[in-house]
This record gives sequence, structure tokens and C-alpha cells, in this order.
Amino acid sequence: MMPECQHRWKMTNIQFGFTVFEKCSHCQTVRTYFSTQDTWDEYREGPCLWTIVENAQTFKFDLQCTSCNHVESFADLLGLLYCTGCLPDCQVEMIRKECATRKTWILVAFGFLPEAKSQPIPERRLRMLTDHFNQRRDTSRSTIEIVWFDQIKNLSLCRGEFIHDVGMLSLETPEERKPLF
Amino acid sequence: MTTKDLIESAGLTPLTQFEPRDVDGVIVSDMLSDVMAGAKSGNLWITVQTHKNIVPAANLVDASAIVITGGKKVPQDTLDLANQHSIAILWTPLSSFELVGKLYALGLVAK
Repeated sequence: MMPECQHRWKMTNIQFGFTVFEKCSHCQTVRTYFSTQDTWDEYREGPCLWTIVENAQTFKFDLQCTSCNHVESFADLLGLLYCTGCLPDCQVEMIRKECATRKTWILVAFGFLPEAKSQPIPERRLRMLTDHFNQRRDTSRSTIEIVWFDQIKNLSLCRGEFIHDVGMLSLETPEERKPLF
Repeated sequence: MTTKDLIESAGLTPLTQFEPRDVDGVIVSDMLSDVMAGAKSGNLWITVQTHKNIVPAANLVDASAIVITGGKKVPQDTLDLANQHSIAILWTPLSSFELVGKLYALGLVAK
């Protein structure tokens, strides 16, 4: 029997584009998607009027093992958010504080909404993502841990920051960001 | 070459508190996506971006330091976050082009 591959991950199928956050003024739903176009148009869909709340440059990728060539799709990953400690009783903030003592940095993975609420990225694939970023770093100095966004106590109050290119084109200091959800 | 050596030899100004570490290669980019996709551990990241998002991006890819070029003012919240994570932010009035030339002459190349 072949020994199980100790995967060494690299990014593959990298595609640059935009993460779009849009909100309906009728039903107040927020949804997100990846687009290769820089779009800001609002549009109607039945009774809903969808307006772009944020449009950020980002990228999509899959992970490929350099040993066995296995490819794991991350088409359902919207992006990574870092905790700003905005809600002291949020589970992410509690994990962040606890992990900071051993130099482990917490990032929060998001899927595209609303699908991600009912179809989370499984723990197995979050572990692959964590392994990938740790394999790219000197782990004797610090490590990365990626958790799923359902650990955030209240999304509509969360002021965590996505690591994507938003507000990067202005020479002015950016305003404090409002909750996205 | 370490970040400490680089500060002295390239005339960079440290803006945050950090432990010196080895610099291994350089990435020049003003896009976080680019850095997240392409940076390697120990890379020196040269950018004009000063938004605080550069700190978690540098942390994620294990950059040895961020160098802000063109004499751009770095917001205090960016510096605070970098200090919290011991991320080195260095500063120079030189343009990215001029700094890259200087670093190349010092023997630093893309990894």
C-alpha cells in the first residue's frame, strides 16, 4: 500500500479579478461573488434592487501538491479576513488572543454569501489552506491558523478587514471601514 | 543580509519595532493579491501602499520587512498594527525604482 502523501501545497490556477459585495435595498440581503470585470452597476431582480457595497481587487486560486500533483479547488473561497478585535466577546477575538501568546496568527476564511452559510468550506480544506501558508513561512518564528467565519459572533457588527485591495488607490488615509454584512 | 544591515547600507528609516531577521529576495508590488500569490518567505516587500491591510498581508506571506517608498506618510493605525505583530516597516524618500537599483547594487535580487 502506498504511503499517504504529505502534501506540499503551491498555488495554481491563479486568476486575478474582483470580489463584489452587493446589498439589496428591498430585502437587505448581502451577497458576494467573484468577477473578472470591475463592475459598479446597480440592477433590479424582481422586487430586489442590488447595489454594489464594495468592489475589491483580489484573486482566486486552487492548491496543487508538488509531490503527488493532486489539485484541490478553492473556487468557493471569497477571501481571508483578519480580526481587528472589534468585539471582545467574539469567538474569533478570543481565539486570536489565546493564539497570539504562542505567535500564531488567526485569519478568518469566508466563502461566497449566501451559499457559504449553508455550505461551509470543510475543516479538511481549511487545514490545507493553513498548511499552505505555513509551508510558505519560517514556522519557527510564527504560524498561521485559519478558521471559518461562523466563529464571528455578529457579522453585521464585525469590523474585521479583508486582505484584499480596497481603498488602496487613494493617497488619503482611508476612513474607518463600516461593517460589510 | 539582515534587515538591520539593510537599514544601514540602503539608508532606510525604521518606523516600527521588530527583531532583525534575514532578508531573502525582493518583491515589488502595490497589489496585495500579487504579494499573497507570489511573495516568498523572507522577501523584502517594496510598495507605495500604506493602508493597514499591508500588515496582515506581509504577515501572511512572512515578508522580512515592508519598505514604503516615495516618502509617503504612513498612517498611525498601520504602524500600530505592525508593532502589534512585530512587522518591520521601513521608509525611504527614494522612489521604488531608485531603491530597487540601490538594492540590486547591494546584491539583493528576486528570489
